[in-house]
Amino acid sequence: MPGVSSSAARPSNRPSARAGFIPEGTRDVLPPEWSQREALRARLSACFSAWGYRGVEVPALEFASADHPQDALAFKLIDSGGQVLSLRSEFTTAVGRLVRSRFPQGPFPLRLQYGGRLWLRALNSELGRLREFNQMGVELIGVQTAQSDAELLHLAAAALETAGVQAQLEVGYPGFVDAVLEDAGLNGEARAAVHDAIDRKSGADVDLLAAQHGLSGAVRGTLHALTDLYGGPEVLDAAQALSPGVRAQEAVAHLRRVAALYGGPLLFDLGVSRRYGYYTGLTFRAYSAGLNQPVLGGGRYDLPGGLPGAGFAVGLERLMQALAPVLPPEPEVVLALDLASARAARAQGLHAELAWTDDWGELRAFSAARGIRRWVSDSPSGLTFTELAFTDLNGAEVTL
Amino acid sequence: MTPAPTRSADHLTLALPKGRILEDAIALLSQAGLPLTMPEKSRALRHEFPGVTILELRNQDVPIYVDLGVADAGIVGKDVLIESGRTVYEPVDLKFAGCRLSLIREVGATGEITRVGTKYPRAARAYLHSRGITAETVKLSGNIELACLTGLADAVVDLVQTGGTLKANNLEEVEVLFHSTARLIVNRAALKVRAARLRPLIENLRTLTAQ
Repeated sequence: MPGVSSSAARPSNRPSARAGFIPEGTRDVLPPEWSQREALRARLSACFSAWGYRGVEVPALEFASADHPQDALAFKLIDSGGQVLSLRSEFTTAVGRLVRSRFPQGPFPLRLQYGGRLWLRALNSELGRLREFNQMGVELIGVQTAQSDAELLHLAAAALETAGVQAQLEVGYPGFVDAVLEDAGLNGEARAAVHDAIDRKSGADVDLLAAQHGLSGAVRGTLHALTDLYGGPEVLDAAQALSPGVRAQEAVAHLRRVAALYGGPLLFDLGVSRRYGYYTGLTFRAYSAGLNQPVLGGGRYDLPGGLPGAGFAVGLERLMQALAPVLPPEPEVVLALDLASARAARAQGLHAELAWTDDWGELRAFSAARGIRRWVSDSPSGLTFTELAFTDLNGAEVTL
Repeated sequence: MTPAPTRSADHLTLALPKGRILEDAIALLSQAGLPLTMPEKSRALRHEFPGVTILELRNQDVPIYVDLGVADAGIVGKDVLIESGRTVYEPVDLKFAGCRLSLIREVGATGEITRVGTKYPRAARAYLHSRGITAETVKLSGNIELACLTGLADAVVDLVQTGGTLKANNLEEVEVLFHSTARLIVNRAALKVRAARLRPLIENLRTLTAQ
């Protein structure tokens, strides 16, 4: 039938492909957000540098690999040689690769910072439904001590303070949960299922699994205790009393050393067990009071090849959200009628746009539309500012 | 739309499903010490009480509001929570609104299952996968039993409360996927940042539902 075709046969009619649209989960960054975000980036980067973390950049294109922890979530591309590539979906793996090939001899500890964009195929609501987003972070590689863990907590606190975010740091230790489950005699699929229930603090699911796997009342009590093991330093005492096993006791002793070295206030959640197979030591995150999402997260892991590493990352989009109420205003923009006055205005910390024409009517109209309140010109007596007055829709004169 | 009012740091925002669960939830939460009363019948969707805001939502939306942190905590059926796939904390089984999600077929049906009608496609797919059944799932919105009776599907996955509807329509439960009750769910950051308000609430709810 002429004139009839299914919508699927005409992909160019999909709204997502129309001119002016961008893919879901991506965003344009406009002024003033752009300059505020760049200022934040500069402050964080300077903070990391001051602690000795040197910057590296890794490619956004990587070889796709089934071993990559985010492989299932990464965008894939095929290059002209048929090689499957991934868009960078996480920094730690990429920095680990860089360390192995570029710094095989260290010197360790190796302190590196990175920043840039990451991409995920699916919308991630944890990130505000973004598929393209910005992260900055640090890695402290080659050492595995309480001091190095405490250093990262100090640096995380310093970074948040630099950014102006009020936040609380919380420490967890997924291996502690695993040790307690091992001591309780849980293995294989049962242990994985109980990890998941404990990470969701679901006492009901713990009971269900306990019944399914025939766990004793004592074990069930221990598992319930894990779901409630969060709060202040008192948590460490409860954790120490929970399981006599060597692994569990060492985990708690390590956390005590880190907490003492850190010295500041810390929250603890020893029921955190997300990615317990990946993290080899403590994990931590920062909560900002105004935002029910963490603004920073990190932990200790092993790089492929066995080198110990630890680090943390901040999501710039999330951090901007937390900071929105306290971000400083941008400097005033003035219109400079000549190059000399523009230079002088900039020297005073103003932003100056240059006049591009002698048509004052056009300059006035532009200034009104752009929100420029003052013109600046050079005169023998020095810099002269002219406050602009505009007529509003009713013909009355107003000064912006 | 009125903007959300600015709130003190220990203000609680709770997401509750409208309808039958709302009354039970408000009764239980007020027993647990929150200053709540059943809102007057009105078109309002947001109810303000001293230190607590109640958001009245479709039950499927409760896990979304809590996971994304717009609400600090909420009450929702385990069935809806599993279907949402959201990883929120679920510290208390409130033990009301009990039901079970089951695989249902016409009485005596033995043919291969090739298509399953359900309001719970995620749970249905997980179940079919675990049983090694390669069947198509069709997402439906209501009166799921009809899918079986009309031949739209060979089986349905749906909630069963008493089984009365099944009997009346010559249907039977083949297998129970899981049992569901109402749960208190809590945003992962809110539990830590608002611990001073949420922990006593959790303790009180546990005591109240312990019998």
